[in-house]
Amino acid sequence: MRKFKNIYWAGMTASILLLSQNIMAQDENSRLVNPASVELLKAKSLWFNTENSAGLTLDKMYDFNNLLFDVNLKEGDFKRKPEGSDERNLGVSTEGGLNLGGGYVWGKFSYNNEKQEGTLYNTTMLDPVRGIPYYPVDKNLSDWVKQDYNLSMKVASKSLWERYIVGIGAQYQTRTGAKQVDPRSETNFYILNVKPALVATFNNHSVGLNFMYERTNQESSTTNSNSQANQDVYVLKGLGYFYSAVVGGLQSLGKFVYDGNKIGGAFQYGYIGESLQLLLDGKYTYGVEDATSTPTKPKKEGSVKFNNYEADLQLLIPGKNLNKVELSWADHNTSGIEYVQVLDKTFEVQRWITTYKSIRSTYDLQEMALKYDFFRGSDLDYKWRTGLIAKYRNSDDVYIFPASEMKIEEMMVGINAKGNLNLGNQNRILGGLSFNYHKNLDGLYVYGGPDPESVIITDFMNSDFNYLKSGYTKTGAEICYFTRIGKNGRTGMFVNGALDYFKPVDSDEHRMVSKIGFGFTF
Amino acid sequence: MITMKSRFKIWTGVAVVLFLFASCDQFEEANSAREVQPLVTVVKANLNIGNAPAPTSFNVKLVNYAENYTVTATMDASGRISVENIIPGIYTITISTEMSKGGFTYNYSGNAVNIDLVENNKEVNIEVGASKSGALVMKELFYCGSKTPTGGSYFRDQFYEIYNNSEEVQNVKGLCIAILNPLTATANLPVWPGEDAAKFVYASTIWQIPVDKDYPLNPGESVIIAQMADDHTKANLNPSSPVNLLSAEFETLVKTTSLISDNPAINMYMAFWPSPTPQWLTTVFGGAFVIYFPSSPIDPNNYVSPVGSTSKNYKISIDEVVDAVELVGNANQVQLKRVPAVLDAGATTVGGTYISKSVARKIKTTLPDGRNIYYDTNNSSDDFEVMDLPEIRRNGAKAPSWNTWK
Repeated sequence: MRKFKNIYWAGMTASILLLSQNIMAQDENSRLVNPASVELLKAKSLWFNTENSAGLTLDKMYDFNNLLFDVNLKEGDFKRKPEGSDERNLGVSTEGGLNLGGGYVWGKFSYNNEKQEGTLYNTTMLDPVRGIPYYPVDKNLSDWVKQDYNLSMKVASKSLWERYIVGIGAQYQTRTGAKQVDPRSETNFYILNVKPALVATFNNHSVGLNFMYERTNQESSTTNSNSQANQDVYVLKGLGYFYSAVVGGLQSLGKFVYDGNKIGGAFQYGYIGESLQLLLDGKYTYGVEDATSTPTKPKKEGSVKFNNYEADLQLLIPGKNLNKVELSWADHNTSGIEYVQVLDKTFEVQRWITTYKSIRSTYDLQEMALKYDFFRGSDLDYKWRTGLIAKYRNSDDVYIFPASEMKIEEMMVGINAKGNLNLGNQNRILGGLSFNYHKNLDGLYVYGGPDPESVIITDFMNSDFNYLKSGYTKTGAEICYFTRIGKNGRTGMFVNGALDYFKPVDSDEHRMVSKIGFGFTF
Repeated sequence: MITMKSRFKIWTGVAVVLFLFASCDQFEEANSAREVQPLVTVVKANLNIGNAPAPTSFNVKLVNYAENYTVTATMDASGRISVENIIPGIYTITISTEMSKGGFTYNYSGNAVNIDLVENNKEVNIEVGASKSGALVMKELFYCGSKTPTGGSYFRDQFYEIYNNSEEVQNVKGLCIAILNPLTATANLPVWPGEDAAKFVYASTIWQIPVDKDYPLNPGESVIIAQMADDHTKANLNPSSPVNLLSAEFETLVKTTSLISDNPAINMYMAFWPSPTPQWLTTVFGGAFVIYFPSSPIDPNNYVSPVGSTSKNYKISIDEVVDAVELVGNANQVQLKRVPAVLDAGATTVGGTYISKSVARKIKTTLPDGRNIYYDTNNSSDDFEVMDLPEIRRNGAKAPSWNTWK
């Protein structure tokens, strides 16, 4: 806990420093920003939406800062089993951008404290769908408490020799959580990445290159409050395959340690014209994450190897109004590796030796999205905006032998609009509506393993599949009131609220996600 | 002069380089994995059946406990078969069949445990022996204990039932029951001294039926060995206990206490127990048990210790073992076997502690007179099933006539 307190204070200190620097660096960039103007600023800033931090200098963003406190609530039964029937999240976040010495600095810090009630089939994972299939689950209804700290930053230099810009981005995120019912668990997770970047400009053209290194670590230990009652758990291996284990007693499930490394790179091409701006971003990442149990006598539970390819094209037509088109594509290929291990029982050695390893499962995901946004007015903020979005998603997960498959193909279309009503004297009401329709195009789950009657299949996997292949609508509304405060005229305050209502097409279930918050802009 | 800033840069650089080197090993390891391919395994039976008749076919079973995956096949008299669709892994392979001839039932069995099947067309040779059906078998074991009405843990109601599964009268005079070291299934198996260490099993505790007189057991009769041969449903014990053991033939009385009485059951002889406790509580997580007739009197001073340990244990020759049952905490622990495959190729479990369940042998056949013959293939995974309530003399087993307090 002390570690997390340190991170909290480090984040707050960094935020305060960033904010105070901004105040000291008042110049023509100083403007009274509001939530709509920050939204517009980010839409205009094509490089900001990539991992190449060096490109920030080309975005010519103005200074901005905000601080937000919010409460998120979720309720309803249209959910995956490991999600809570009721969830509450308290969050505080601050974000700021600063022109500094001809370059640009951006940073963000957030803290979230979450409570989930009524989760099922998740014994140790803070995020069960983060992409690693090897983890224990149990069938006891349980609560979870979680908290996380996130620090992100991007720094871009001024243009060097009127051609090159260097930059670096970094992110550090640490999460912790505890399951509240036997079998209990305590999990600590962190992720750290660094992204050095370079951009070269040639008149209206620019090319960029950035690299990425990311390290992930998770440690999960399990225990029982009632030492008299051992608890059954199922250690998953993907697509419903599992082995049984017990928490408690002499043969209790050992600690699970996840150790991951990821490297990657991205290439960008940008063009800035008077009537058109575009940025093409192509990205590749490769990584491996090992899951190991009982660190004192390590036994490999499995590994994942992933190759991710992504491409994104942003087109911007600036002017009195702003038109933005974004086309993105992604192809994610993950292989699940399992090991055959034998125990070397030699007295002095006593360790697990790998005699065979193979790819036992594969997880392929293709995604495409087309997004169009129109902003009426494109100076500091907009008068109103509307957007259209279409997404296609196709996942195909295969357990190779014995054969099982889960396939989900779906598309989503959506429309959204917001109005930014100027009440005068820097008072604004920003209101928006959105409607998304998710349609399942194909869905298949065939389990060919040895335990078709187990609760893992009948209760967990089947219901998860039914959720994933559900068509549903999402109807959303949001409102934000903004007003200027402070004598210098650069400080604003806002309160906001949002509601999203999820309704499946074929059932009476629902899920409601609401948010209320207040914050300040500087 | 190296400034603090420079030191920071150097250490940061070193850390990044170390991380990258660590990543390289991890990436190389993952990249060398190829897509799994089902294997073919060749199983060969080497018959060592003495004068027993030669069977015409054998049942071959390959079990991968880690994946709960079983492949079965039928081997012909040639004693060789290629088994397909093997997931690479660790297997227990058993060859078994039975045959009746000349009024006798012969069991043929052979097995190999923890066989690493990760190469295609690997040959596994298994010695198959023959024996007439075992005479004395452990028929039911209640080891996990029960819960009290207030949720407490109760373990004094453990019992072990030994049954005459043969056609002839058996005398259990001098029969020993032993729990083996290690007490629970574990990956940390002890290493025993001596070149012939594999010819023995090693007991932590041995109790012996008195040798003062004969204790005959007719076919279909059984004796109950109770930790405490009392009515466990009594108010001062555990009203929620599933068993009344007042009719047990034997009990393992260490000493009487306010709870432990000297009951009508015959007190067994504590033949070997270096550090006795007030009661013979065997582990509720599942121990490994053997019954045997010692060829010579048990001398407690003739103990052995595993390498690196001072614990005292008694050597029991595998040849003297009449029956063995390995119990484990849960199904996945079968791969952590302690008992040699020649005695028990599998293991059985109730899957929990203090849950009032027992393991009992499955009925193989019921004779016209109502007497049951139970499975005894030396593979507890196959021979036993879990019972929701323990019961002494289940399925009509009879108590011996010399038990006058039944």
